[in-house]
Amino acid sequence: MTSMQAISGASRRVASRKLMVGIYWAFHTALAAMVALPLMGAAVSVLSHSRYATEIMRGFDVMWLFEALSASRNLPSPMVLPLFLLALLLAVKGGVFLNGGAVKLLVHDEIGYSPREFYEGCGRNYWRFLRLMLYSLFFYGFALAIGASITKAAGKIWGEGLEERPLVFAGYLKNAVQILLCGFVATAMDYAKVRLVADDSRQSLRAAFGSVRLAWKNKGTVMGVWLVLLLLWAAATLVYVQVANRIQAVTIGSILALIAWQQLYVLSRVWLRMTSWGAAAELDPVLRPRQMPPEETAPVLVEVAAGPPVLEAGAEAEPEAGTQQ
Amino acid sequence: MKLPIAILLAGAICCAEPSRPVASYDIKASLDPKTHIITASEELTWLNDSPDTVSTLQFHLYMNAFRNSQSTFFRESGGQLRGDKFKGEDWGWIEIRKMQTAGGADLTKGLRFIHPDDDNAEDRTVAEIALPQPVMPGETLRLAIGFQTKLPPVFARTGFRKDFHLAGQWFPKIGVWEKAGFRFSKQGAWNCHQFHANSEFFANFGNYRVELTVPSNMVVGATGEQIAKAASAAAGTGTYTFQQDMVTDFVWTAQPGYLREERMFLADRETTQAEVAAAARLHGIPESEARLSDVKMIALVQPEHREQMDRHFHALRSAIKWFGLWYGRYPYKTITVLDPPHGAEGAGGMEYPTFITAGTMYKLPPESRTLEEVTVHEFGHQFWMQLVATNEFEESPLDEGFNTYSTAKIMDRVYGGIGQLPLKFFGVNVYSLLKLPLLRDESMNRAGYVTQPAIDDMLRQAWQYYDGSSYSLNSYMKMSVTLRTMENILGADVMARIMRSYHQRWRFNHPTARDFQAVVNQVSGKNMDWFFDQFFFGNRLLDYRVGDVTSVQRKTPIGVYEKGGKTVTVTKKQGEEQDKKNDDDKKFKKEYLCTVKVRRMGDAVAPVDIVIRFKDGSTEKRAWDGEYRWVKYTFIRGSEIDWVEVDPERKYQLDVNYANNSWQDRYQVEVSAGWTGNLLFWMQNLLLWATSLA
Repeated sequence: MTSMQAISGASRRVASRKLMVGIYWAFHTALAAMVALPLMGAAVSVLSHSRYATEIMRGFDVMWLFEALSASRNLPSPMVLPLFLLALLLAVKGGVFLNGGAVKLLVHDEIGYSPREFYEGCGRNYWRFLRLMLYSLFFYGFALAIGASITKAAGKIWGEGLEERPLVFAGYLKNAVQILLCGFVATAMDYAKVRLVADDSRQSLRAAFGSVRLAWKNKGTVMGVWLVLLLLWAAATLVYVQVANRIQAVTIGSILALIAWQQLYVLSRVWLRMTSWGAAAELDPVLRPRQMPPEETAPVLVEVAAGPPVLEAGAEAEPEAGTQQ
Repeated sequence: MKLPIAILLAGAICCAEPSRPVASYDIKASLDPKTHIITASEELTWLNDSPDTVSTLQFHLYMNAFRNSQSTFFRESGGQLRGDKFKGEDWGWIEIRKMQTAGGADLTKGLRFIHPDDDNAEDRTVAEIALPQPVMPGETLRLAIGFQTKLPPVFARTGFRKDFHLAGQWFPKIGVWEKAGFRFSKQGAWNCHQFHANSEFFANFGNYRVELTVPSNMVVGATGEQIAKAASAAAGTGTYTFQQDMVTDFVWTAQPGYLREERMFLADRETTQAEVAAAARLHGIPESEARLSDVKMIALVQPEHREQMDRHFHALRSAIKWFGLWYGRYPYKTITVLDPPHGAEGAGGMEYPTFITAGTMYKLPPESRTLEEVTVHEFGHQFWMQLVATNEFEESPLDEGFNTYSTAKIMDRVYGGIGQLPLKFFGVNVYSLLKLPLLRDESMNRAGYVTQPAIDDMLRQAWQYYDGSSYSLNSYMKMSVTLRTMENILGADVMARIMRSYHQRWRFNHPTARDFQAVVNQVSGKNMDWFFDQFFFGNRLLDYRVGDVTSVQRKTPIGVYEKGGKTVTVTKKQGEEQDKKNDDDKKFKKEYLCTVKVRRMGDAVAPVDIVIRFKDGSTEKRAWDGEYRWVKYTFIRGSEIDWVEVDPERKYQLDVNYANNSWQDRYQVEVSAGWTGNLLFWMQNLLLWATSLA
């Protein structure tokens, strides 16, 4: 199976479970609103009846931002950071929970979306996926450490020089390597999730290392999928930015159009995320063929008397051997 | 004041006689590029132009700021400046090996270190010497000084990095003898401050001649004009001689790798006849006086910044032109801009007489004008610090703030502001891609100011601000915003005359803020003491806001009234019935009782304009003196209030909150929806990144 075939199959799997995409989108939107609404409530309350707002809508004035920051310093408690951290924590925990249901439905293609099946998967896989997420930090840490070592090495080689250019290019290299490695880890963890669900296993640590090994062995196919999805994301982002920059969001109509366009972009990101799992689900049986159980001997047909045994009145069951009365 | 009188006054002020050279130096120096030690001999000629008999001398030995971690500079800065940190491996110092008078008296042993600012016994940045014979009024003293200076690694303005060298504050420099009545002085005394984290300039004008001997592969740049160059093949060195009259300092640089380019600022090509005529008209001076002179521009640029050469020259041309037309022609023949190499960024963004250092980065996007801003700003110090040589230690906003104000005017005029910040990813200009808002200098200055508008008095000794941030904010942004506010109050033309008059009156001299105040009052013809007292010398907070605004439809009056000699009683019920009739009658003209309250939230009192607009399109204007905490205006009108605005022309940039300066009846649903949508979108994306790791 090629990378494109896997993506195509994954797209089909996701497309037949649109409600699942909707749940994922709604979850992120609700948490984002948890931070955005109070923050904007505070900001907009100052501007909602100010003519300054009209000016800022025509061309954003950085002075207002600093005025607002300065004013917020006098608030009794800076609530933005705790709120943001809470949203982040809920997002990670909630994300782990929802991933369980999503991966289950994408792995078991024969099961269509239903809330019961979805949430059953969420609950069943929650702790396995949570452990997996914690184990994945080790791999991400490793990827970041390699990036940091590139920076350190570049600093040693060129840091004392009089040119910035080699360090700039070393920075590009470090970013590229780090993105590639983090992409590899993220993809391997997708395979680990699929493995846990497909095998109905609780062995998160084994799945993590096994999937990293699997992804490394089949890096062409696995990273091919990742690369195609990355390019699709980049293309979606480029299209989003180009269109968004052209929308002059000053009237209600244009503002609503921009919001709709933004949400379409967010949906596309959710879609790509699920496609990544779907592609892992497509490729997993190919890359990791299931061990078939040993063949059983063919059953011997025994003639059985038709109909139930005839019990006569007064007859008692014979006790089985070894049992005591 | 009427225009012709103002022009006459401005003209009268501009003709003050420049001061004489007081401290002149003839230095011969050679650099050892391996040890980074400069060995030099200096002949100092000092004129006692005071009526005092001077029996001691005080010298700046500023390289001793880098001698150890106990110097005042290190204690104040913590061994870092503007983000660059000292690594603690290699120190800088200056040692006077010999000091003797022309008569041969050896003064070396009498040298002692003093600490006039902070009693820090470990600080060796100021030295005092008792003279065997005092210097009489009008007498000239000649001293021969032998000294060695070890440059520190660059992290704070001066030093070396590999084979790059920038020698600033490198030679023994005499302090300023202030006679009674000069600036703040009540009796004759030395003004010789220690080297501090945030200030370094105050010196007499003098004539400099400096011979520099460096390895022959090095490209050299320095203050003034290069008048001679000699090479010694045997020693493998080159000797460069620079000369400049009437400057307050001397700096030089040497590095093998510089790309050196010279271009001419040709005054007649860079300025049009109309521009010169307009300047002459505005300031009431002959065109010959408004005309600029030619300047040789020299750029020393790092090879990896080759493509930025044109940008430096363009910025220099713009600065020479507009500073010249506004404040008076640049009087020197050269200006050199130095682009420090990577790792020596601490030497960037510095000003010395006829020599400035740039601030840039590899592949700086052309849309980001930070390079131009640094070059224009540092050039501006030729006018505010060098020509008008205020005391940076005691009144830093007079050079940094005046210069920030001037820089913003040029940047916004020529480049439309800073433009974009250099935000790149894999070389792609992300700032441009996301179409983030372009930044104007004026806005950025006010944005900085509003963060901490009244933490300190604006004018303080540079080391006595609350912290480094308060120093920067008051010295740069707040003074700029204050001057812009003054410009808005007095008008652009009057302000232009004030600035030129002040500059011309005090060119080659050492004014204080009180001198500027006198020029403002004189040229504007207004008493602006209220402004200076609150904002220059105090730290009053200015914040006007629109308070309660109501438009209440007038109801039928009820109660007992005298009408036509009879007592008439209108009951509540009668009144309500009449109101209902009125509401049903389409011809009935409704009346509203409209009230507006405007509040003064800060402790600064300033006259302010208020505009009240009604929904029928009519407008009321009021001028409020701002004396009491609030004012109330009442109107009976045929329509409700549409909007109210305090300071509608936004004269008071010092007002810390523009958002509360106005009120409008209509709720800005676009702001709520648009901004909330945007923030929601960014938060969604951020959380998606977070959960993609889950």
